[in-house]
Amino acid sequence: MSLVNAELFKVRTTSLWWIMGIILLPLYAASVLANWAQYANSEVTGDTTDLQAQQIQAALQPINVATSLYTSGQYFGILIVLLLSAIIVTSEFFHLTATTTFLTTPHREAVILAKFGAAVIIAAVIWLFTTVVNLIVVPLILGNLDLPTQLGEPAVWRAIGLNALAFVLWAILGVGAGVLIRSQIAATLILAITYVAGTAVVSIIFALLTNFVAEWINNLQVLVPTSASQLMISGTDLPGSPPQWVGAIVLIGYAVVTGLLGTWITKRRDIS
Amino acid sequence: MSRPGTDEIVVEHLTKQYKRLRAVDDLSFRVRSGRVTGFLGPNGAGKTTTLRMLLGLVTPTAGTATFGSRKYVDLPDPVREVGAVLEASSANRGRTGRNHLRMICRAAGLPDSRADEVLATVGLTPAANRKFKGYSLGMKQRLGIAAALLGDPRVLILDEPANGLDPEGIRWMRDLLKSLAAEGRTVLVSSHLLGEMQLLADDVVIVAAGKLIRQGPVHDVLGDGSGHAQVRVRSPQTEQLTAALATLGATVTPAPDGSLLVHGAEAAAIGHAAFTAGVELHELATEQGDLEQVFLQLTAGKAGIR
Repeated sequence: MSLVNAELFKVRTTSLWWIMGIILLPLYAASVLANWAQYANSEVTGDTTDLQAQQIQAALQPINVATSLYTSGQYFGILIVLLLSAIIVTSEFFHLTATTTFLTTPHREAVILAKFGAAVIIAAVIWLFTTVVNLIVVPLILGNLDLPTQLGEPAVWRAIGLNALAFVLWAILGVGAGVLIRSQIAATLILAITYVAGTAVVSIIFALLTNFVAEWINNLQVLVPTSASQLMISGTDLPGSPPQWVGAIVLIGYAVVTGLLGTWITKRRDIS
Repeated sequence: MSRPGTDEIVVEHLTKQYKRLRAVDDLSFRVRSGRVTGFLGPNGAGKTTTLRMLLGLVTPTAGTATFGSRKYVDLPDPVREVGAVLEASSANRGRTGRNHLRMICRAAGLPDSRADEVLATVGLTPAANRKFKGYSLGMKQRLGIAAALLGDPRVLILDEPANGLDPEGIRWMRDLLKSLAAEGRTVLVSSHLLGEMQLLADDVVIVAAGKLIRQGPVHDVLGDGSGHAQVRVRSPQTEQLTAALATLGATVTPAPDGSLLVHGAEAAAIGHAAFTAGVELHELATEQGDLEQVFLQLTAGKAGIR
């Protein structure tokens, strides 16, 4: 536990955490407003296929509007968690502090475990912050949309819980990725671009493959971490998608693989 | 060999093979407690790689490097047993010196107050709350030494600690390391500053091209290279003096500055010969063998970029 404490102390004693906080706040506010605007203006238009219409219908059901709003801030919150988690590792090499760290704690797996622990705690804090604000703000927005608060619905609380799981899994993934990509600049750029542009690019690629190669390929889209994450927290099961738990399994798989691989590599690598 | 004490450093047949380079090649030596040991070698001799293997940061290809009979990773409480300074600029630029030390305290289970104590020991208290990026190279070295002292360890290992220190700083470090050794601790210092080592070290370990060249007390090592002491004499009557010294059987070499370098006779004998010949002397000085000379001689042809 003292090692996790030391890792959190490292994050606390540089300006990184409040810079990330300053970036997160406006992005979080923007996502709440964007969600609000989306549900305030959307309606089903005639010019859509059956499946699309079904999906939009489903998304507009009050329960799905509620789960989506109560998990506002997830997209950018997870991005920040992902980057912070990677930087917890890469900064040790960027600032040449890995030597000091491994001299203090020669059992390297303990250091990496502590970094996982610290990243998960940071993820939980950011999740808690967005969730608490959501629980205050969203009932007002739902009132504006003439919908009930739906805080009694188990689906809402399940979505909030799955949101926490997503934050935690992405934190683990970030630490693992930080070990694999040791360069701080490369790690932050690759992770940010993959996370932000990845989903869009991947859905285009899969749309093309599905249209021109085979229909079943579309089902593989869930193997992409960002798609898996979206599926996992998509509230209720939407038509045409694999069930939610598949997304959770895939994301847990990625977290476990990067975590184990990262620990194994750190144990073997010469620190010079 | 005697059974090593727990604060003795034992390196046995240590080897590190990189893809194309044998950085350390079957190296064996011991470092005793209560003494300052200088670890000397040209650039690229494998000094840093050896220290990193000793500290568990680099995995040896063969051989062992241990404290007594235990590897660094097997020490139950490494920070309290071994302190090491490997790189001067190894702290997060945005963190203050005090927080850098507290971070180590937390990971090692030491009280935060130790950070302030070692800051005082190395004279950094006024800069404790300044960020690392504002530190001079000398201050960074002091912070590194402070970090090594946090656990009050029995063994200290320092890699080129004099780099970037001003003359006052070097003198401070010399006094500190000597006093730590005098308390019975083991002090291993790598350096290429030979003049400084001659003042600081009790023992030396000289390596080149990854191999051991010579190990022993500084005075013994100085004794074997070119280390026969020479005597420098200066006189306005150079010719008479040369003739008088020839009767002693000494070799006399004129130095470029007009003085004479005498080998094969001691200062007292030279003084006496000059006195009986009625020659006036302006200077008569025994010059100790110079570690730099011995070092260059011992490592000649083995140094350099590999």
